[in-house]
Amino acid sequence: MKFAGTTDIAAPRDRVWAFVIDPNQVGQCGPGVESIEVIDDTHFKATAKVGIGFISARFVVNMELAEQDAPDRAVIKAHGQAPGSAVDATAAMTLSDGDAGGTRMDWNADVTISGSLASLGARLIEGTANKMIGQTFDCMKAKLEA
Amino acid sequence: MTEILQTSPEIGGMGHSVKRKEDPRFIRGKGEYIDDLTLPGMLWLDIVRSPYAHATIKGIDASEALKIPGVAAVVTGKDLEGYKLHWMPTLAGDMQMVLPTDTVMYQSQEVAAVIATSRYAAADGVAAVLVDYEPLPVVVDPHKSLEKDAPVLRPDRGEDKKTNHIWHWESGDKAAADAALEASDVRVAEDIYIPRIHVASIETCGCIADWDPVRQQLTLHMTSQAPHAIRTVLALVAAGAGLPISEQNIRVKTHDIGGGFGGKVPVYPGYVLAVAASFLIGKPVKWIEDRSENLQADSFARDYHIHAEIGATREGRIQALKVKTIADHGYSDAAADPSKFPAGLFNVITGSYDFDKAFVEVDGVYTNKPPGGVAYRCSFRVTEAVHAIERMVDILAHDVGKDPAQLRLENFIKPDQFPYKTPTGWEYDSGDYGRALHKALDLIGYADLRKEQAEKRARGELMGIGISSFTEIVGAGPSHDFDILGLKMFDSCEIRVHPTGKVLARIGVQTQGQGHETTFAQIIAQELGFPVADIKIEYGDTDTAPYGLGTYASRSTPVAGAATAVAARKIRDKARKLAAHLLEASEEDLEWTPGEFHVKGSPDRKKTIQEIAFAAYTNHPAGMEAGLEAVDYYDPPNLTFPFGSYICVVDIDKGTGEVKVRRFVAVDDCGNIINPMIVDGQIHGGLTMGLAPALYEQITYDENGNNLTGTFMDYLLPTAVETPAWELEKTVTPSPHHPIGAKGVGESATVGAPPAIANAVVDALWHLGVRNIDIPITPPKVWAILHEKGIA
Repeated sequence: MKFAGTTDIAAPRDRVWAFVIDPNQVGQCGPGVESIEVIDDTHFKATAKVGIGFISARFVVNMELAEQDAPDRAVIKAHGQAPGSAVDATAAMTLSDGDAGGTRMDWNADVTISGSLASLGARLIEGTANKMIGQTFDCMKAKLEA
Repeated sequence: MTEILQTSPEIGGMGHSVKRKEDPRFIRGKGEYIDDLTLPGMLWLDIVRSPYAHATIKGIDASEALKIPGVAAVVTGKDLEGYKLHWMPTLAGDMQMVLPTDTVMYQSQEVAAVIATSRYAAADGVAAVLVDYEPLPVVVDPHKSLEKDAPVLRPDRGEDKKTNHIWHWESGDKAAADAALEASDVRVAEDIYIPRIHVASIETCGCIADWDPVRQQLTLHMTSQAPHAIRTVLALVAAGAGLPISEQNIRVKTHDIGGGFGGKVPVYPGYVLAVAASFLIGKPVKWIEDRSENLQADSFARDYHIHAEIGATREGRIQALKVKTIADHGYSDAAADPSKFPAGLFNVITGSYDFDKAFVEVDGVYTNKPPGGVAYRCSFRVTEAVHAIERMVDILAHDVGKDPAQLRLENFIKPDQFPYKTPTGWEYDSGDYGRALHKALDLIGYADLRKEQAEKRARGELMGIGISSFTEIVGAGPSHDFDILGLKMFDSCEIRVHPTGKVLARIGVQTQGQGHETTFAQIIAQELGFPVADIKIEYGDTDTAPYGLGTYASRSTPVAGAATAVAARKIRDKARKLAAHLLEASEEDLEWTPGEFHVKGSPDRKKTIQEIAFAAYTNHPAGMEAGLEAVDYYDPPNLTFPFGSYICVVDIDKGTGEVKVRRFVAVDDCGNIINPMIVDGQIHGGLTMGLAPALYEQITYDENGNNLTGTFMDYLLPTAVETPAWELEKTVTPSPHHPIGAKGVGESATVGAPPAIANAVVDALWHLGVRNIDIPITPPKVWAILHEKGIA
């Protein structure tokens, strides 16, 4: 599944950049995130509970900041597993100057869901994923604009 | 075939609708299914399954699982590798993983087994096993699987087989078929996909493996259609692994079975895991699938991508048929077809029609899906064949502007052509196809329906009439051609008559609801005159039942039923000698009527079969062995060819695209009938299982190989609400080579129904330019067509 969008954030670009590459900050906005463990500068591990319809699963997600070109572009790769399910995702963010000193974030994500969650929740996955992505950016926007 | 004498209702031989002996326990909830059974000290096994359709296993961490109270062990492919048990042979002679050591090949494949003291602890253990996967490219489409750059899915097959192509099989004369097509006035070609479906039996698969290390005895309680074959496969696998489990110490025991339909023929990894776990731990181990495991991981059926071309004269006289098919087998060919027939009996595709020339070819292909495919209530790919030919004949009729019933009648093999040799090599035993179709046309009021259709079409209403005049091929099979893993496809019966005139008979086939306890007793009642109530039928315990290849492909009555009749006749031959001794007459002077021998011309000088049975143990003549028993291993001289004509009327909702089956007439001919009530029941069930793939069922995958139909929310089965009132009729054309003239009926309706329904839907839409709709014909598919045509 491919997703893409643009979010305007009323915060300066260096602040937005610092936020998105800090696992402890950005991680809190991930959907259902329960804990974040930083392994090194570019690797971290999250535990997140994700539910689709009547199925829910606790995922352990290994994330890697695969590319970073400060303060313009970052690519995060994620590989998560839960009993009987797995998620593999690549998300890219491109920052540019927005209106009135703000920041424009163009993002896209390629998400593959495998196993029970895909099998049993197929009809609900896209809607749920869209909702989760929306929640993630709403959270980032709220924290950065606070 | 010999003449079938009429028996009294008390005896209850052939033709009597004797109530089923098995029903009292079922309707009282006293059936005993595998999951009802609990053995002392029993452990439970549950399976960790792959979320990926294709991935490398980088590691398996069971440490957290082993901390869960009750979890006794976690078994991985590496553990099994030590015993060479990580791969096992399939019934088709391919190899299948029990547990993978490095690569998973389909979503929901077995990855590890957790053994625990309760079902719950086992499930908790499964959730706690951490498997590190690295995803690999997934091949879902069998056409893409054959492309040059497709990843090779089975490198284990060796350097010389670096392709996903499994086998090529062909039948008929290609050059002759090509020439005949070339010379035809009219050529009709179509792509027809018969989708992957699942047998979805109410009871899922499972077993209890019970290894007794002291007695060196393995008892395997299981839900299987072929217990003897399972015993032999286990013995061979154990021998290969160097385990001290030999065939005389293996007892496979089935219990009541909640539906088989072909899905309980194969050997699944779960069985081997339970046996291995019991062997390692020395306690009984139970494995029962849940519904999603059953739908996602067990053998599927169908999945044939067919391209068919038919040639005919301008008047619609059929001349040639050419068929090219791709068979999607998943990652392993785990079909249960006879060895010489990798595409089953698919070359029966010339159907009920007098084709001059035909050529059929099939290529088996690997994909990242579960292995299969089983014969789902059809005798080895006959459903696929019948659907294709019945669709093609219908398209031809519409193309040449002829009524589909008329075109069929003009092209049927005629009664005086039997035994009839098909251009693909089969010899049909008997048939009267015109009689069956005429009966169906009369019963449904065909001419009036066509008038109604014309009127409705003029008003813009969508109504269609579909016909299917199928020929089945069942009763595998003659030993010169038919074997599974080398085991010839004979079947057996052993009959013992007790001194008090009661009978115990054991058969090599296995009932899964067909009513064998009743119908096999009726065969013996027919042949020997014992009342059906005095005859007990046993099966499914390999320690006691004679060897048999099991129940599938409608082979019980054609093969084991014949063995039963022949064994009974051996007993009757001895009974005649005993009667001659008792009546002080010569054997030639005795005449048999069901239940007694009497002296010709003096009906009062007689001995009943019960008196004769008593004498066999109390007063047998000098020089004759005591007792009254016989056994027969029957090797059928040919297959049997049941047939029928079905007509279906559908109305289509223009707003929603929903197809409603208004009427469905089924005229079946299964030869001589043992129990008319049971035959009707078989046809009712079969028709419903034919309605299902026509309108509802399909296993689908997303592009990553995720099974999207893993529950009954997405895998739709018809209920009583969707099922029309079936209208049944029969004709009787006995099989000339079968001892009681029977042909088998378990699958006719499942085979014959889908094309009747599909033909009716296309018939309703033909005037809009619709030539074919692949099953299942769902409302979205029909709505999309109506929408495109500007109607919906």
